[in-house]
Amino acid sequence: MTRSVLALSVNGEQHELLIEPHWTLLHVLRTELGLTGTKENCLEGECGVCTVLLDGKAVNSCIVLADQCRGREVLTIEGLGGPERLHPLQRAFAEHGAVQCGYCIPGMILTAKSFLDEHPGEIPSEDEIREAICGTLCRCTGYQKIIDAIAAAAVRMNEQTRHAAQ
Amino acid sequence: MLRNEHPVTGRRLPRLDGAAKASGRHVYGADFALPGMLYGKILRSRVPRARLVRIDTHRAAALPGVRAVITAADVPKVRYGNAVKDLTVFATDQIRFVGHPLAAVAATTPEIAEQALAMIEVELEPLEPVYDPERALETDAPLLHPDWQSYAVLPFIARQGNVAGRSRIRHGDVDAAFARAYRVYENRFTTPLQHAGYTEPRAATAAWDGNATLTVWSNAQLPFEVQAMLSDILQLPSSQIRVVVPGIGGGFGGKLRIGVEHFAALLARACGRPVKIITTSEEELIAAHPRQPAIITLKTGVARDGKILARDGRVLVDCGAYAGSGPLVGAVALQVLAGPYRASNLRLESLAVYTNKVPSGSFRAPSGPMANLAVECQMDMIAEDLGIDPLELRLRNVVHEGDLGPAGEVLKSVSVEECLRRAADAIGWHDRRPAPGRGKGIACSWWMTTGGSSGVYLKLNADGSVSLTSGAVELGTGALTGAAQILAEELALDLEDIRIATVDTQNAPYDYGAQGSRTAFSVGNACRAAAEILRRQIFAVVAKHLEIPADEILLREKCVVARNHRLPLAEVARIAQLGAGGLIAHGTAISPPPAHDPGRVENHPLPAWNTPSFHAHAADLSVDRETGEITIHRYVVAQDVGYAINPTYIEGQIEGGVSQGLGQALSEEIVYEDGRVLNASLTDYKMPTSLDMPRVESILVECPSQHGPYGAKGVGEPPCIEPPATIANAIAAATGLWITSLPITAEKILLGLEGSEQKP
Repeated sequence: MTRSVLALSVNGEQHELLIEPHWTLLHVLRTELGLTGTKENCLEGECGVCTVLLDGKAVNSCIVLADQCRGREVLTIEGLGGPERLHPLQRAFAEHGAVQCGYCIPGMILTAKSFLDEHPGEIPSEDEIREAICGTLCRCTGYQKIIDAIAAAAVRMNEQTRHAAQ
Repeated sequence: MLRNEHPVTGRRLPRLDGAAKASGRHVYGADFALPGMLYGKILRSRVPRARLVRIDTHRAAALPGVRAVITAADVPKVRYGNAVKDLTVFATDQIRFVGHPLAAVAATTPEIAEQALAMIEVELEPLEPVYDPERALETDAPLLHPDWQSYAVLPFIARQGNVAGRSRIRHGDVDAAFARAYRVYENRFTTPLQHAGYTEPRAATAAWDGNATLTVWSNAQLPFEVQAMLSDILQLPSSQIRVVVPGIGGGFGGKLRIGVEHFAALLARACGRPVKIITTSEEELIAAHPRQPAIITLKTGVARDGKILARDGRVLVDCGAYAGSGPLVGAVALQVLAGPYRASNLRLESLAVYTNKVPSGSFRAPSGPMANLAVECQMDMIAEDLGIDPLELRLRNVVHEGDLGPAGEVLKSVSVEECLRRAADAIGWHDRRPAPGRGKGIACSWWMTTGGSSGVYLKLNADGSVSLTSGAVELGTGALTGAAQILAEELALDLEDIRIATVDTQNAPYDYGAQGSRTAFSVGNACRAAAEILRRQIFAVVAKHLEIPADEILLREKCVVARNHRLPLAEVARIAQLGAGGLIAHGTAISPPPAHDPGRVENHPLPAWNTPSFHAHAADLSVDRETGEITIHRYVVAQDVGYAINPTYIEGQIEGGVSQGLGQALSEEIVYEDGRVLNASLTDYKMPTSLDMPRVESILVECPSQHGPYGAKGVGEPPCIEPPATIANAIAAATGLWITSLPITAEKILLGLEGSEQKP
């Protein structure tokens, strides 16, 4: 199959890749770049575990073609923070017992980030959080501790923003 | 025993793998890859029952990029399986379900492998299928396994034709008790196929070292069982098979039985390259190991005051085309069917029946929710008929300390009354119908802490930390963090000082596996035993080094304290490495089942339950009479956990278990029509989302057990048992309508309400 060159920025790093036209963003991240923090499951945009941020917005990377990401910025869970430098969302998930098997968690955290970034300075209600994450399936937690973690992270992120502004 | 001055157990500590998982660094079975690996795909039957006449793989094998195509002709002619050895890797003479493996392909890309599958030619001769397990029991029904008598089975299994397993619990004189009963109630309940719903598909990567030794990296729940199955399938000694579980994205019992490991292994051997297989959503929904559909008939005779006199019940589990976990799942239903209730006369039978559908498995508390639906809905029906409050009826019948269980075993640490009262108090039981269309329901049950043995190795590391090597995988429940908390407490360490090793059958001690609510319990006990040995080893090293008697030495805050000396464990490790080859301790645990009366039980693998737990659920909901939709206002669980090793993750088990139970109650069903699954995608198979789940209020009851670490009981499975019955009872309280067939969809409610309104 004919391959074409794709320039792609992932977690702030520029990549030039030879891609096949049918490759999804998920395939490129996991198989070509070895970024397996982005998870694979249904491959039809139903479960949400493959969620990444494309120019800051949450997308199901299993149904986005890599070719659609030309010149755009992708953020994966690896770029959000590592185990030694956790983002407030990652820390809140770990501290609130929101992580069990953890397979949906990268997608869940990035969905939450996209949502919180769209509402800067706000503390979302439980119902708003439920609405925001309803596209990502979690079979382990019943969502309760995930929701609590997102609410706690929102408070911390707002505090950090205020401190930064002062 | 010395305990830490600052205990590690009983605290809400973050799990050890939390940061790695939240940052995407934790490697799961589906993430694992090897250089040069190929991708495997499985050709699955599109017809439910047929004679396989011919299979031609020549065109597929010739496709560029294809490295191997294998069929039944290429694999050892053996039958394997768990309770009944009725399985073959590929269909041989007969196809028995849509999804039945016919061939497998390895290719350089998944797309080429998929393309090759379409080029395999299959010639079939359709045979008459059987989908209904009650039809399969009839004498003139087609026999799914004509050679059933030649299959090897576990010793307790009783079979006959399409019945893959039959178990019984019987005592007293049921007929005489029915004859003198004030009333006798008889009801029938049905429950559907439910997928375990783990978000990580089943995956395996296999590589051979020459032709002698196989390594499989998989997300199996039971690596030692997978190793044993691979040994049967490949006809290799088990020590030449190494199963490694890097990480597992949920299992819930759906990853207990062997998944795709054998296909990957056979393909890798055929093409001399590593092969990875990951299942698709469609394969998951047509050919995984879902919860059996069940038909439960229950007849109960009561006295005028509501006391249960006798029960006659039958659970029929539809195990699909192969026995899978069916015979065991059916048997375990009998204890749930007896309920946590006193009954002096019991006649209970389970049948696991073959049909031309997907072979099923052991989804969380395998038959608990089905049998509990029957018992607990019928309790409410009896209560209504006799004019007794449903809570009161339960309290008049529940078992108490020292009562006999269904197999005649003495029940200990019994807490069902406390669970019922606390759940009822929390939900506001005094006001059971607070508004029109609104009602509250309650249900209780009991469940085992599965036995089986555990071994662990501990190693004192050079930095003073301790490595914990176990054969039990961390499914996500937090059970190994719980075991590590116990270990840290025993060794005066912090939780962060424990390193949990990746499970590898080559070097891990045996464990019966991450199943049956037993991991924290059994591995925790093995950790206590191993810690005792490691302590003695440490004291011996220090006694020799300091010339102080061992009985004057203590462990305190990561140090060894002896008279006025204080040695950090890292220093002890250094001394032990210099002079004693380092320190390694092996601890084991086995929890023997209680004594029972063998005369009451026939063909039952678990006649008397180890360390049973007790629990009660209560819900407050409204039913919309226009749409049939329900809104759950509150959901309460009171569960006896014995001792809460880490309350956060116990709540997590309860919240997640309730979510799976509510899915089974309200929306989940693998729908079959003419042997085909109509909803084989996550678009059409509906699991609860964040919008469907109520907040779950957990009450942790701590009635200590005799055998668990610090009194703990099994926790993981029970929370999904009571939700269907609790919801059905609450709907009946709200509307007067009984729906005895799961899932209770809005359509069923609406049709039921319309029907009852039409009646005079």
